[in-house]
Amino acid sequence: MKDRLFREVLPRVSKPARYTGGEVNMIIKDWDKADVKMVFAFPDVYEIGMSHIGGKILYGLVNERTPHLMERCFAPWPDMEAVMREQAVPLYSLESFRPLTDFDVVGFSMQYELSITNVLNMLDLAGIPLTSRERNAEHPLIVAGGPVAFNPEPFADYFDAFQIGDGEDLLPELLDVISRNRGASRATLLLALSGIAGVYVPMLYEPSYSSDGTIQEIKPRGEGIPARVRKRVVKSLDEAYYPEKPIVPYMTIVHDRAVLEVMRGCQRGCRFCQAGMVYRPLRERSLETLRKQAQAQLYSTGYEEISLASLSTLDYSGVDSLVHELVKEYGSQGIGVSLPSLRVDAFSIDLANEVQKVRKTTLTLAPEAGSQRMRDIINKNVSEEQLLEAAQAAFKSGWLAIKLYFMIGLPYEAEEDLDAILELLKKVKEVGSRFSRRPVEIRASIACFVPKAHTPFQWQPMNSPEELETKRRYMTRYRQKNIKLSFHDNRVSFLEGVIARGDRRLGPVIYKAWQLGCKFDGWSEYFDYGRWQEAFRQCGIDPNFYTTRERSRTEIFPWDIIDTGVGRAYLWRESEKAKDIALTDDCRANSCTGCGICPRFAVGLDLPDAGLVASQRPVFIMDEEQVD
Amino acid sequence: MLLRCEYHVDSDLRFLSNLDMMHLMERALRRAHIPYALSEGFNPHLKMSLGTVLPVGLWGQKEYFDLELRIPMDPEIFKNNLNEHLPPTMGLNRVAIIDSHSPALMKVINSAAYCFVIDAPADRLEELSQRLLKASELIVRSRGKKKDQNKDLRAGIFKIEVNQNQEFVIMELWVSTGEPVNVRYDELIELLEHNGIAPGSLKDVYRSGNYIYHDAAFNTPLEKVK
Ligand code: SF4
Repeated sequence: MKDRLFREVLPRVSKPARYTGGEVNMIIKDWDKADVKMVFAFPDVYEIGMSHIGGKILYGLVNERTPHLMERCFAPWPDMEAVMREQAVPLYSLESFRPLTDFDVVGFSMQYELSITNVLNMLDLAGIPLTSRERNAEHPLIVAGGPVAFNPEPFADYFDAFQIGDGEDLLPELLDVISRNRGASRATLLLALSGIAGVYVPMLYEPSYSSDGTIQEIKPRGEGIPARVRKRVVKSLDEAYYPEKPIVPYMTIVHDRAVLEVMRGCQRGCRFCQAGMVYRPLRERSLETLRKQAQAQLYSTGYEEISLASLSTLDYSGVDSLVHELVKEYGSQGIGVSLPSLRVDAFSIDLANEVQKVRKTTLTLAPEAGSQRMRDIINKNVSEEQLLEAAQAAFKSGWLAIKLYFMIGLPYEAEEDLDAILELLKKVKEVGSRFSRRPVEIRASIACFVPKAHTPFQWQPMNSPEELETKRRYMTRYRQKNIKLSFHDNRVSFLEGVIARGDRRLGPVIYKAWQLGCKFDGWSEYFDYGRWQEAFRQCGIDPNFYTTRERSRTEIFPWDIIDTGVGRAYLWRESEKAKDIALTDDCRANSCTGCGICPRFAVGLDLPDAGLVASQRPVFIMDEEQVD
Repeated sequence: MLLRCEYHVDSDLRFLSNLDMMHLMERALRRAHIPYALSEGFNPHLKMSLGTVLPVGLWGQKEYFDLELRIPMDPEIFKNNLNEHLPPTMGLNRVAIIDSHSPALMKVINSAAYCFVIDAPADRLEELSQRLLKASELIVRSRGKKKDQNKDLRAGIFKIEVNQNQEFVIMELWVSTGEPVNVRYDELIELLEHNGIAPGSLKDVYRSGNYIYHDAAFNTPLEKVK
């Protein structure tokens, strides 16, 4: 297989290094000695998949700490796919060049709603039946994990099981159960899997619908199957596995550097943010652990850069000391530190200056909304003053461009809120003209708000593509010099919106769309809205049902089957506070705001370096309604 | 201290670009804790210079780079240390200390040898090489500068050897990579195709060496530093 690939297939495709494997630190376990064989499948190209931190963790974890093995596979770019189909080359793993059908488990990492068409395409390229119903013990078990799995229902037809939440403990348990059920029928295996906390087996549940199309009930199909599936939480990130020898790709990938996960979860409580809700509570790694991990990773990879990753790295308790230590320790060797996300304040800029002494090209900040009113609605605790201070600090220290992230289509949005974005941009530019010696450039990246499951905005109607288009036109009606606006494609956002709050009835639509040729839907050169519209039409599904519709307080949602720990009562309260333009505090900075996860899951904020650990946490607020 | 290194890149790494190769080397140097020198300035970088770029799709038996060290090191120790940290699919063949004022590899290398592994009888290829060397002009479509214009390779083909290996026949062409004409491997493939070598019978292509061609002699950059 490998020989044929290298001689006949790869010379004909673009970026062949995507498909060769063999990278530094790749792990090839002895196939015959390994217990359960799993392939980690990423439904996008290599350079995106290899940039993903969760995959690095699971790859190292399974291969180093368990008797099982894990290999890798990514979505082939359409040119490669064409040659593979023509030459009848099945989808294969990069470690042993085995077809996916040789594995016991194929685990898809679902980071993005629209990558589902790539999942179908990959299964098809592997010669594996696409739906769970068509598969039996002869076929690999097809599982999925990642943030998208928090609303698994639209994908229920295609996956045998979903892993919900942190995978560090969950995945090894899943593989052990598969090992113990070797030779068993698929039905027996699925039943056994449903017994693992954090595993959702969609086939074992039956949804029913009311006459208005909403869900009446999602019922387990038998005894002993949990009514709701609780996400898994790693209590101590500091003690959790983290890879010391990650793979170093040959080709340049999106995040081509060593990476430390300084914390997991976020406690700021932005009301639009799904990650901020589903990855609670906040857990940090200790400085000591991070120091060791930094050294181990840099020595084993030889990378020239190390990045501090998390949802909001500048909130990490030890960020200041960590950055200074890393710069001091490795700077002289030409190794840089990078901060992927900055907080909107002057302290962040100081720290950014610390790591970026030269090449101060573009600084990125995310105020998300233009008016104070709207920032309060979404609970983005940033004031205009802070933003302008940050801009001033940046321009004074030599940055020449600032990129700002905003959203339009937010709940309760009015024309004034759109105006406010433009005014804010103007003010930032004025700060630039005053404090920078050279002309500055302001860029705004404007996304369309997509209401997500498990967030306070899960009840909110989404703007239609037409409304979003009108808003875009309104905002671009006149130009401003040195201010560039770029808008996300609102049709892509709309489709994300359909799937983000979708249910099982979308299964056939996804199948149809794939049949009509949809793939790489997250890539503008491949996204084809017309085909999706055709798929909805042929399946008799109205996409607006999932997006622009108002939902009532008591509506049962498809994703209610998943228990993230954050209670529905809290989410509703937050939703009402949004309407009242009232803020909710950060539960780390101040006291518990009652989202519910800590008392219910017996976990806590874990901040080893902030002098605050779970056991010392003051009393949690608990809602009556949340007790189940 | 300036080191000149000769290395090989196996077939598995044939799809790496020049930039990929630079990154690979730099990272291996860091993993091996080699005391490389860094350039001055705010954005320090390794003082490493590669010889002529190995085209994507080809592997190479004798490629070259120069590297400056901050602290002197025994070339043998350097070679062994670095080889331990390179992928098993590539490695250093030889390392020598050279005068720190030696001209850059890019300046001195003016010739390369390409091997074409062909499924055809040796005597036919023998006859073909005679024919090529006797021709007054060898026209192909240019793949480099002046893309798609006609280009005469004849003056740039110095020598051809034909050798039987276990399975196939290897036709090795020594060509010019500078004056009078820069001959590219893909242009040579076209030349072979024009002369009856079907694409299917071409089993492999690699670069067997880079040379300093002078007075009808081929010297490697290690043999002839100045
Ligand atoms: S239960 Fe309280 S302390 Fe724990 S994450 Fe939720 S709001 Fe924060």
